[in-house]
Amino acid sequence: MGEFTNAMDSALAVQERVREALAADEPLDIYAGSTKGELGRQVRGTPFDVSRVEGVVSYEPGELILVARPGTALREVEGMLASENQYFAFEPPAWGEGATIGGTVACNLSGSRRFKMGALRDHILGIEMVDGSGELIRAGGKVVKNVTGYDLSKALAGSFGILGALTEVCLKVWPRPETEQTLKVYGLKPPEALVRILDWAARPLEITGLAYDSRASALLARVEGPAPAVLQQIEALPLDGLEAEVLEGKASQDFWRQWRELEWLVPKAGEQRWRFSGPPTRMVRLMEALKAEGLSQWGLDWAGGLLWAVLPVATGVGLVHRTAVRHQALAWRFAAQAGGRNEEAFTPPNAGVFRMNQMLKKAMDPKGIFNPGKMYALDEVRA
Amino acid sequence: MSWGWIEALTFYVNKAYMNLPEPVPERLARRGELLKKLREVLRENQLVHSDEDLVAYECDALSAYRQRPMLVALPEDTLEVAAVLKICSALDIPIVPWGAGTGLSGGALPRPDGVVLSTARMREILDIDVENRTITVQPGVTNKAVSEAVAGQGFYYAPDPSSQIACSIGGNIAENSGGVHCLKYGTTTNNLLGLEVVLADGEVVRIGGKGMDQAGCDLLGLLTGSEGLLAVTTEATLRILPQPELARAMMAVFNSIEQAGQAVAEVIAAGMVPAGMEIMDRLSIEAVESFIGAGYPLGVEALLLVELDGPRSEVEHQIEILKNLLQKGGAGEIRVAQNEVERLKLWAGRKAAFPAMGRISPDYYCMDGTIPRGQLPFVLKCIGEFSEHFGLAVANVFHAGDGNLHPLVLYDSNREGDLEKAEELGAEILKLCVSVGGVLSGEHGIGIEKRDLMPCMFKDVDLDTQERIKDSFDSGQILNPGKVFPVLRRCVEGGAMHVHAGDEKFPDLELF
Repeated sequence: MGEFTNAMDSALAVQERVREALAADEPLDIYAGSTKGELGRQVRGTPFDVSRVEGVVSYEPGELILVARPGTALREVEGMLASENQYFAFEPPAWGEGATIGGTVACNLSGSRRFKMGALRDHILGIEMVDGSGELIRAGGKVVKNVTGYDLSKALAGSFGILGALTEVCLKVWPRPETEQTLKVYGLKPPEALVRILDWAARPLEITGLAYDSRASALLARVEGPAPAVLQQIEALPLDGLEAEVLEGKASQDFWRQWRELEWLVPKAGEQRWRFSGPPTRMVRLMEALKAEGLSQWGLDWAGGLLWAVLPVATGVGLVHRTAVRHQALAWRFAAQAGGRNEEAFTPPNAGVFRMNQMLKKAMDPKGIFNPGKMYALDEVRA
Repeated sequence: MSWGWIEALTFYVNKAYMNLPEPVPERLARRGELLKKLREVLRENQLVHSDEDLVAYECDALSAYRQRPMLVALPEDTLEVAAVLKICSALDIPIVPWGAGTGLSGGALPRPDGVVLSTARMREILDIDVENRTITVQPGVTNKAVSEAVAGQGFYYAPDPSSQIACSIGGNIAENSGGVHCLKYGTTTNNLLGLEVVLADGEVVRIGGKGMDQAGCDLLGLLTGSEGLLAVTTEATLRILPQPELARAMMAVFNSIEQAGQAVAEVIAAGMVPAGMEIMDRLSIEAVESFIGAGYPLGVEALLLVELDGPRSEVEHQIEILKNLLQKGGAGEIRVAQNEVERLKLWAGRKAAFPAMGRISPDYYCMDGTIPRGQLPFVLKCIGEFSEHFGLAVANVFHAGDGNLHPLVLYDSNREGDLEKAEELGAEILKLCVSVGGVLSGEHGIGIEKRDLMPCMFKDVDLDTQERIKDSFDSGQILNPGKVFPVLRRCVEGGAMHVHAGDEKFPDLELF
């Protein structure tokens, strides 16, 4: 094993490092590209860089699957998929050059197609990881339809690294639609926009993005598919005399890229970003409620199910979480700087869900060495 | 005509074979106490305990394996489910959750020293929220009833297992049920937003809701497909979708299975994601034709059914491209359904494939492996060789879009040794699926049937982690113990969904 000790570039090396940590009862703070360090709580652990456990293990366009190690750059994988006219349908935000597959899985980050095509967790088929017993284990498979044992892959998606260290993931990839167009409708107040969003999302159309840009008071609807079909669907959307324009091809792509990358949501000094997810019908009311807490910028995505917001740092964090819960939503607070203190980063789950999370954590990481406290303070309680 | 002795033999063979759990005498001795306690929380008509009434619960649709439970509880709401679990936990009595009993892997096989907890009386649709595109139901509501409840508003529920007229949503969640539209629309796990569950100790927990995220780790993902080993579902919030504007189906015939498989690959390479793609082999086509006369051409080696759905403009555009692709791919006759009647007729043949086998063979054994699509020709070639080796015919129907293979091993349980040969052949097929990068079960679950094949796919350490999760959620081993995880940690022969002529548990249910 000695040859791997200093070269953190293989599953065995990850396993060896985890075993050392287990022996020393040493908590680890797993990272790779550090593009999403503003998410989650601060972890008190030894930094554990898995970015060199990288590379695409296999890509089979005909099988619609891709297997990659966690440190693989998201950008590299997306380039590879594009060359075969495929993509990740969950449209992962990168939030920086260094974004990796592992970090994307750990955060379950999914873009504007979420309401139509699912989240990352809907596209993960299998994993290899080192768990808290120090073993290199596999779960799931490399096929779309599978009921063979517990679906641990999904449990790992969005677990923010608290269940183990990934060494390989298998993701479903998807044919890229031939073309896209975005209808941008101006002059809509938020409640009117929401009514329209809910109406359009309920239509049998290939609408794969429904967002509201509050800066322009504009509703954006993206339709994807074969060119003639896209055109007909865009034309069929009722405008009721509102001013509108159609963003074609690159203009459409550019809009959704900057939207996904949050280039439009830039906090000023003394402000920070928040993300709220909940029932679409509640999100405009939630936004209205947040105005009382100093809301300065916001926008809706996921056909109304996702609210991005900027609030003053000084706003009471607990108050925001309670406001979210009142609207059946969950909030994520971004840390002021990557890896910084962020005590109530996530709206706490109810007691039962919390207990089930602890049951899962105890099974996967009994000694509590993986990202302790990353999601909730009580995760830090070590067995 | 009585098949009693065969069943007795089957039972004996399987008992030896499958290590069905021996009843624990101490538990049987507590039956009186259990009944007394349950009567404190349930009415008399919510308890089944006479021998003649318990017969209906001695097996699910894997009917070769039968055991009568100690008793059956029929709670009507969440609190009653919780009360039953608390009582059973306190008395160390195992629970087998039971939806409609249509499962094909023995996931709901009762234990002689346990209680069957049936959700049959929990059939209420609690909430339809068209604006948020969700429906919330109790677990005993059937899959079909969900789609029917929202059809008037132009919606439907996407997972469509073949047993959908009878199978329950609770069971669908336990088995992560699929259907023929999985490639495009996913399985149960991709269409579930919220759950209310009861844990082994009776604690009621609500997970997720009408939003698209959950707090904490993905418990919905973990619980879906956990085969009733981690919690009992008492309520589910499901995602509903707008009904597609148009669905068009097309049939194409090929001179070889390889060609049909290649055509499927071409369709996917062309960037199309059909709602369904099904391949049938010669034996299946011929059996179906003689059974219902679906109008499939005879004398061909393979038949491919493809269905496109979506906005009219898109489907009409793609149907022409699809036709050209299949023609270039060497298809012989191509038939495009011109209307809904023709579309349903094309599907009727496929949907009759299983019962058709029942007509040409006294018994069949249905397998359910998933393979990478590209391995189809190789796997079918091997299955052909196995078939020759064991002297049993195998018909193949294949959810080609998602790689889910349903080989049907034809045998005659009246012929000595046939059953054993069928089981051996079946196990070989599943091991083959795993060896080419596939999995043991695509949609039927592991249950009792494939439990002992798990080590063929997973190493000891993989199963250790999974069993630690089980222990963590259910340290008393109350919830459906003895399922999914192998008794012996080595790759053994095993498994069996057997259907004997006239002896199906659900003869009227579609199987596909």
